[in-house]
Amino acid sequence: MPGPRIRIPASYAGAICASAGILLLMLPGVAWAALGLELVALAFWLWARSLPDSGEQLARWSWLRRPAMALWLASALFLALPQLHNVFAPVPVPSPTDVFLPPTLHVAPLPMSRDPMLLLRTIASLAILWAGLELMAALPLSRPFPDLTGPARPVGPWLTALLPVTGFLVVWRQAELWAAAPLAREIATLALMIALVLSSLRAYSRRSLTATLRWLVVYDSALASLLVTRDVVPGSVAALLWLGTAGGRLISLAGELKTKAARRGPALTRLWRVAGWLAGTSLAWPLLADAGFSDQRFHPLEYGVLSAPVFLASVLWLLRVVEAPERRAMSRPEDHAPLVSRIGAVVTLLLGPSALVYAWWNGFSVSPLAAVFAILPPLSAWWPVRRMLPAPGGPAPETTPGGTRDFALSTFRAVTLIERQLAAAIGGIARALGAPARDLHSGDAQEYLLFLVGVAVLALLLPVLR
Amino acid sequence: MIALPVLAGALTPWLVPMAALAAATLVRRAHARHSEPQPWVDAGIATLMLVPLAAIVAWPGTFTPARAAIAAGLSVALLSHDPRDLPQTEVALKIMWVLAAAFALSWAGDALLALASGSARPREQWPALALALDPYALWSAALSLSLLAGLVLLGGAPFHFWPGDLFHGARPHLAPLVAATLQMAGAVWLQRHLDGVTSFGGAAQLVRALLTLSAMVALAGGAATLGYQWRPERRVGALVSLQGALMLASLAAAPTRTPFAEHGGISAWAGHLLLASTGASILSHFLPAAAGPAERASVLFRRHPWSGAAGAYALLSLAGAPGTPGMYVWLDAARTLADLKHPGLLFGVALAWLAAFSVAANEIRRAFGAPDGSPPPARPVPRSLRTALWISCLALIALLVVWSRGA
Repeated sequence: MPGPRIRIPASYAGAICASAGILLLMLPGVAWAALGLELVALAFWLWARSLPDSGEQLARWSWLRRPAMALWLASALFLALPQLHNVFAPVPVPSPTDVFLPPTLHVAPLPMSRDPMLLLRTIASLAILWAGLELMAALPLSRPFPDLTGPARPVGPWLTALLPVTGFLVVWRQAELWAAAPLAREIATLALMIALVLSSLRAYSRRSLTATLRWLVVYDSALASLLVTRDVVPGSVAALLWLGTAGGRLISLAGELKTKAARRGPALTRLWRVAGWLAGTSLAWPLLADAGFSDQRFHPLEYGVLSAPVFLASVLWLLRVVEAPERRAMSRPEDHAPLVSRIGAVVTLLLGPSALVYAWWNGFSVSPLAAVFAILPPLSAWWPVRRMLPAPGGPAPETTPGGTRDFALSTFRAVTLIERQLAAAIGGIARALGAPARDLHSGDAQEYLLFLVGVAVLALLLPVLR
Repeated sequence: MIALPVLAGALTPWLVPMAALAAATLVRRAHARHSEPQPWVDAGIATLMLVPLAAIVAWPGTFTPARAAIAAGLSVALLSHDPRDLPQTEVALKIMWVLAAAFALSWAGDALLALASGSARPREQWPALALALDPYALWSAALSLSLLAGLVLLGGAPFHFWPGDLFHGARPHLAPLVAATLQMAGAVWLQRHLDGVTSFGGAAQLVRALLTLSAMVALAGGAATLGYQWRPERRVGALVSLQGALMLASLAAAPTRTPFAEHGGISAWAGHLLLASTGASILSHFLPAAAGPAERASVLFRRHPWSGAAGAYALLSLAGAPGTPGMYVWLDAARTLADLKHPGLLFGVALAWLAAFSVAANEIRRAFGAPDGSPPPARPVPRSLRTALWISCLALIALLVVWSRGA
């Protein structure tokens, strides 16, 4: 007779795994990070398999093992490889004032001849970067996931926003391991800038506030990762700035799912609007100052590419966080949601500026011109608010077909379609190349012997053909 | 507390064969035919016949190439002794068919080498060949042929058909012991043939080139086969073949160094292979062959999920997953390749490991499936099978403790 069984509900088991996973991601070792991501993937699997539409949910979230495997690969390679010296030695660069001079060719030993393990070390570093970027929807294969609801019914819309969080934690905590590899910073900057633009466009094209907030968490994580990638501020400051912004969005998303707690009453709504804007501005400001005015000169392209999504994200936050209509005659006294929401808003309000003060205290400085230009995009977001906010009692502004929202939507869809087709083409080529491997296991005894004879002949011929 | 790992270390040589034999007895008992009047006695007698194989795996010190051939013959005899078991007999025929040709070719190579060098002992052959009195084509062809039996016995691709066939066709109490014995024989065959090869630079260079090529093919072929195999038993076979590929890669990097020396050498490698493949092969009979990820869990996992998890640990160890003793086997091979600057082979090992770990994890997820609310099946999985799963799991954990303390 079977004994009593201890059954933990899937929702609790998943929550425990996900919490433990995120805690492990905060530890510095890459093996801990791999285990953490594996636990997060396990949590999603536990939640997905318990749902009635488990087949669809399992297929939808099966990609989560990919970043975990990338981190396992990196940790295995770092464990196996000895300490490499002078592998990532700095290469002399031309003077920053000589913008139009072609790069000087230095007669120096190739990196591979300095150490043959360089390639593997680079692969390990890029694997970490892959994991971080994929979890932030910055790679084509996982791009559309913030559009989807997570696999746990009550908190599903919130769960998806957890993944960019894990992505940023990977990028931030493992920066020492991946950022030293050749081309890693350049690849990360390119992928994150594309993700930044696409996530802000997608946030704009979505009508519901929950979906917009999920995309804004992706945007925040990409922005903070850019701070880490470009080494604008110390990693701890970038993490604090990210915590203020993305944390605020996560709290307001949680509040949105529970009685729209972030938008109850005019005062609380106003507080959240200012807090979110200030946190977002604190996050974007050092990056815009660095990207636009590094090396004592103005970089119009980088400034333009970054300031557009910053402006759009600020506008979105200010426009969409509007007071929710109160349908209850009176609030319940045991309802602590408004109090928690208010505390969250105050923390969000204080965290960003405090992190900047901390950075300034530790030597971060910006030229006055850069400081002014960097504040312009988020500051100018207040202007459309005054224009676009409906007059009291008036109708909400409608968007016409073919307007800016349609443009954002079609741009996002076109880019993701091209990315998917590219990925499918590469996958098809790989499958075609690997097709002969299917015949490796025919299981026919006569073929075994022919095989053996063939290998014996090869073994005879190979040494002769030296 | 300190004495426990020391005790475990002292017992390790005994632990592996005892655990494997105990598991084999239990599995044989569980698969007893209805016509057998005394199943436990029959299982005991069947286990007694396996004692020589277990002893070979545990104490390979006295193993020579000639004894490797005898062990291979014994394995084939064990597989073919029951004429009623047609799949197992077919496996025996196939293995005999290929091994006979492989041994014939290798012995021909040995004879040619002896002819060229004037000695039958490898250690004496290399200085004689270094005098360059014989044509290159003669001794190089002879050397290549003489290694062929070792490559076939290790079971790496393109000779990975026999582990797949063995785990698919042979009875589960027999397959792991036969696989471990044959692979051990292959490793010993190569090691004894390469004894002192570094004293002749030309031969060492040729051996490195041949073994590197073989290891590359074995790793790539093993990883590709894992992806294309559907039957779980054959997937276990492919994982076993990858263990042979790891041995090949270690020997390619350092032909005269004892592989896996940090954790007990070849016997420890074969011991882990035996334990992990025992658990994995028992488990593979409960894994779904073609079920999707959202289908109902298999009987073992619905009725006895913790026993299923114990079997899953063995499968993961065979794949070298983190937190298992198999991890040390893969890491040892990778460190050897890194120390001796073999980036290409190391990359191959990394890719094969990734494939093995992914496939094992996916198999386990598919085995747990998705709950559909139906009650677990009334008929339990035989207790002896579950005990065998636990024995292999606990023995692997003991191995992990010993190895992690040693590391």
